[in-house]
Amino acid sequence: MDKVAIIGIGHGKFGVRSDASLRELTFEAVKACLDDAGVGLKEVESMVTGIAGDEFAIALQPSAQVHDYIGFHPKPNFRVEGACATGSMALRTGWMNVASGLADLVLVVGVEKMTEIPTSLATDIMGRGGDATWEYPFGTTFPGYYAMIANAHMAEFGTTEEQLAMVAVKNHYYGSLNPFAHMQKPIALDKALTSFTVAHPLKLFDCSLITDGAAAVLLASEEKAKALSKKPVWIAGLGLATDTMRIGDRKSLTSIASSREAAKIAYRMAGVGPSNINVATVHDCFTIAEIVAYEDLGFCEKGEGGKLIQEKETYVGGKIPVNVDGGLKSKGHPLGATGVSMAIEVTKQLRGEAGQRQVKNAETGLTHNVGGTGQVVAVHIFRRE
Amino acid sequence: MSHTKVARFAEDLAGGKIMSTICKKCGKKYYPPQADCPACMSSDMEWKELKGDGTLVTFTKIYVAPDHFAVRQPLMPFSSVAFEPSPIGLLEVEGGLRVMGWIPKGDFKKIHVGMKMRASPQALPDGRITIVLEPT
Repeated sequence: MDKVAIIGIGHGKFGVRSDASLRELTFEAVKACLDDAGVGLKEVESMVTGIAGDEFAIALQPSAQVHDYIGFHPKPNFRVEGACATGSMALRTGWMNVASGLADLVLVVGVEKMTEIPTSLATDIMGRGGDATWEYPFGTTFPGYYAMIANAHMAEFGTTEEQLAMVAVKNHYYGSLNPFAHMQKPIALDKALTSFTVAHPLKLFDCSLITDGAAAVLLASEEKAKALSKKPVWIAGLGLATDTMRIGDRKSLTSIASSREAAKIAYRMAGVGPSNINVATVHDCFTIAEIVAYEDLGFCEKGEGGKLIQEKETYVGGKIPVNVDGGLKSKGHPLGATGVSMAIEVTKQLRGEAGQRQVKNAETGLTHNVGGTGQVVAVHIFRRE
Repeated sequence: MSHTKVARFAEDLAGGKIMSTICKKCGKKYYPPQADCPACMSSDMEWKELKGDGTLVTFTKIYVAPDHFAVRQPLMPFSSVAFEPSPIGLLEVEGGLRVMGWIPKGDFKKIHVGMKMRASPQALPDGRITIVLEPT
């Protein structure tokens, strides 16, 4: 099996981008990515596009729109969907393209435009990311699902609302240092704790943002990577796992089984364990999700995720820096772009280009991207050498 | 809930029963009911009423509602409406099956994981049937 590297990264500005269309957002990210790689579009052989929702895009084949706009025809484009994990699944599909020998240079694009429709409708569409027949009639929303996970975690392990808010404080702090983040302002703990309740016990500042944005990476085979790049970052492990559609069918509500399974597969493939990870981006769609991710990825024992953030072990300089790009919480969560954006942050960290947010001598990084409430989870491990 | 092989669930719910299905071949129980059993790939299922007594696994109260339940801003200038949603919960009943339902009555602060409750069907004023959870 051929090795696959990331040799180019391009991140557009995340936010309420009423100034740009889905296509134009894509162009920004693709141009930045090709410039970073020093490669022309003519050299790229194939493209994978991650867009989660036709409903957000108000189009039947939004990937054709963006493919057309960057002028990539007649070369192949392949659309991937996996709810909030769409971007990571696009990256995995790109990896498959290169590792199989089908193509040596593959562009992976993740993009979503979520603010063209009203927030209540976006909330509705996201809620249908759960079981549309059996849960949606009870008014379930995405915050609602994670609120149920939070209440179960608090009851079983004594996790507190303060600990949840501490995740928000950390991620907003790092978001304030990330020029591509949607919300670039630090927040105080009491502000997070006194914000209005979205779904008990989750408050406004426990929730990630509804965001527009695009991100792109260029993948290369080993031969191409060595010929074209001075700083390739290698994809060392990939894990993908799934869980039940309904949260009512889960054995545990305090852990996401598919996260644990995907992590196990990725760790095994890369030949590393949690203690070897120097920096991670995890799926903090809600603050409780980051705490559960610490536990599921093995960064701490089960039930001790709240303590890990309380002791600031997930800040730069701590035991395992997590989401030091601001995370979904403050950087924003344009569904299709999120997984690609995670890979970009880890690539920057491994290249030593993360500026004020840099984790010293980071050699191995991890991304963790959850689709829905764990219906699909992708974990990827990256290495500098 | 009409384009499915388990459409009778809604009729039984209207008749006061929460129904599950059980695979005749391997005995696996399903709630919500399924017409097919992926555990043994059989489609030979029987219907059985679910006893609604159980333990609350988790709960929440969703203030920011999805579009289909969202409160519209009133048209009258300077007016507002206060929205007080009903909590929802997930109840574990016999056989480890879990039933989602509204928790319309009682003090929200008293709801806790592990509390004993009963799930039962209830008709709404507009004629729709739903499931509610009440403390026992």
